[in-house]
Amino acid sequence: MKTSKQLKVLVQTTFAAAVAIVMIGGLASTTLFSAETDTNAVPSKTDSAVSQTNSAAVKAKAPAAEKPVLKHQLTGAELYSMHCNRCHPERYPTERTAAQWKTIMLHMQVRANIPGDQARLILQYLQDNSGR
Amino acid sequence: MNKTMKTRCGILRLMMAGCVIGLALPSRVAAEVSDADFNALKETVQKLGEQVQNLQQSNIVQRQTHAQDLLQIQQLQQKLTETQQIATNAEQKSIEASMTQPMPRQPIDEATVNHNFMMLGDAEFQYAKIAGQHGAFLQADFAPIFLYRGGDNILFEAGFDTTLANNAPGSSGYTTTFNLSFAQLDYVMNDYMTFAGGELILPLGTYTERGAGWLNKIPDNPLAVDALLPGTGLGVEMRGGIPVGDTGQSLNYEVYVVNGPGSSDTTGTSGSAGNLDLGGNVGVLSDGSTVANLHGHPSGGARLGYFVPFKPHYDLELGVSGQSGEWDDAGNHLWSAGVLDAALHLGPAFEAKGEYIVTRYGSDDIGTHYQQGWFVQAGYKLAGLDLELPIINNLEIVGRYDSLHDVYDPADNAFDIKTRRYTVGYVYYFTNTLLFEGDYEFLNSNDPSQADQFILQLSLGF
Repeated sequence: MKTSKQLKVLVQTTFAAAVAIVMIGGLASTTLFSAETDTNAVPSKTDSAVSQTNSAAVKAKAPAAEKPVLKHQLTGAELYSMHCNRCHPERYPTERTAAQWKTIMLHMQVRANIPGDQARLILQYLQDNSGR
Repeated sequence: MNKTMKTRCGILRLMMAGCVIGLALPSRVAAEVSDADFNALKETVQKLGEQVQNLQQSNIVQRQTHAQDLLQIQQLQQKLTETQQIATNAEQKSIEASMTQPMPRQPIDEATVNHNFMMLGDAEFQYAKIAGQHGAFLQADFAPIFLYRGGDNILFEAGFDTTLANNAPGSSGYTTTFNLSFAQLDYVMNDYMTFAGGELILPLGTYTERGAGWLNKIPDNPLAVDALLPGTGLGVEMRGGIPVGDTGQSLNYEVYVVNGPGSSDTTGTSGSAGNLDLGGNVGVLSDGSTVANLHGHPSGGARLGYFVPFKPHYDLELGVSGQSGEWDDAGNHLWSAGVLDAALHLGPAFEAKGEYIVTRYGSDDIGTHYQQGWFVQAGYKLAGLDLELPIINNLEIVGRYDSLHDVYDPADNAFDIKTRRYTVGYVYYFTNTLLFEGDYEFLNSNDPSQADQFILQLSLGF
């Protein structure tokens, strides 16, 4: 009897946690990103080209009658600041060579569950500014 | 003598007179050629001289050209000889190759031409003073992580940890232990999925994966993480991150199967509560005689996390994870764990994180019981105050609260240990990788082995 009650409590706790995650995630995504994203970050050498290309593509696709919507493509520098500070003090791009960053980023992509496209942008930023 | 000299002088005068007459006579004959003829002849002679000179120069140039031509001819002949030799060698090699058995070609994914070996990790040493005991230099820890990348998608990573322990009481000297912390082979299947196999760091919460050595801002681990959860497990795992939208949010997941906790079976009754062994079931017994899971079925586990970055250095991550499986040899009892984790960053200066952990396991002797614990810790870098003071700017103030309830007590074979711990401390950053940490831990526990302690630690991440 006691066991079944405890099991019920565990299930309820897990369910409540899952609901809380969904609610908080949904709330965060709707309130924090509906109007604005960060515009202060400095784009890296590589990312600026990507941003320009994407902006041009969006402009080209937008109907003439509608106001063009400019999507902000996160740069490698921004993603680096978002992900790498989650677990450890900042490591500077110049601390490693381009080849070393490739190995380290593969390790971090796995360890921190960084999506592949974001990992590539971070790697490009690190390699562009690496210690060669 | 003088006579002889006079005679010689006379002879010389006569000879000179003869010469003058001889010279005068032809000029008289030349005088018979007109000046115009003489000048024409002179001009002709000059022209002929110039032509001879031109011919000589052109002859020199032609000789040089000829010499260059000869050199080029020799070079071409040499190249022709080399080309013929190469062609002959290639023909021989192709014949030899055609005589050997064809080898099946494996996909190499640039593994043989594009790989890299690296060593990362950390090193620490500590000084600790536990209440009621002498202070001591406590630990010299070296924890390297070796990475070998074979191509773009394959990574082998292994971590080790050294520990020192006195042989006293009972013996002299000390013992150095070199432990394998984890060893896994990762294959990145696509942008969103990675397969990993080996001795895995289990994603029950995030502390275990992110709390190694210098990563944690407090020298020791949270009580609940050490007491309630296995750190690693031998098995396979699928993991990855799926981007949500284009603002950096991602859904993170890990799903794994491992041998799971086993029974140390020290009493001959594997299902006794005190025999639970969270990390020892690695498939091979110490005598090498048995290669098997200690119980019938592996344990399964998973973590689901959601990462929400608001902007660089501002983010929130929430996760829920759990694991369940048999633990006793007979497979009569389950060991299960559930963990909620959260981490928050508000700027480069502030970080807070915590976990709530609950475990449940059954036993032959004292039935089924829950153990639970949680911790929350926060840190603030004083650089965030913008005081522009060098020492202050390198300082971070940290604090943690730990709670552990209903933990198994081998002394009375009951789940009755309760501990609360308050920790305050600091981190001084000499550099971004060399940290000098210190903390004081206030304990409140019914476990007599627990006491307040003061710890200093120097950490290096590399």
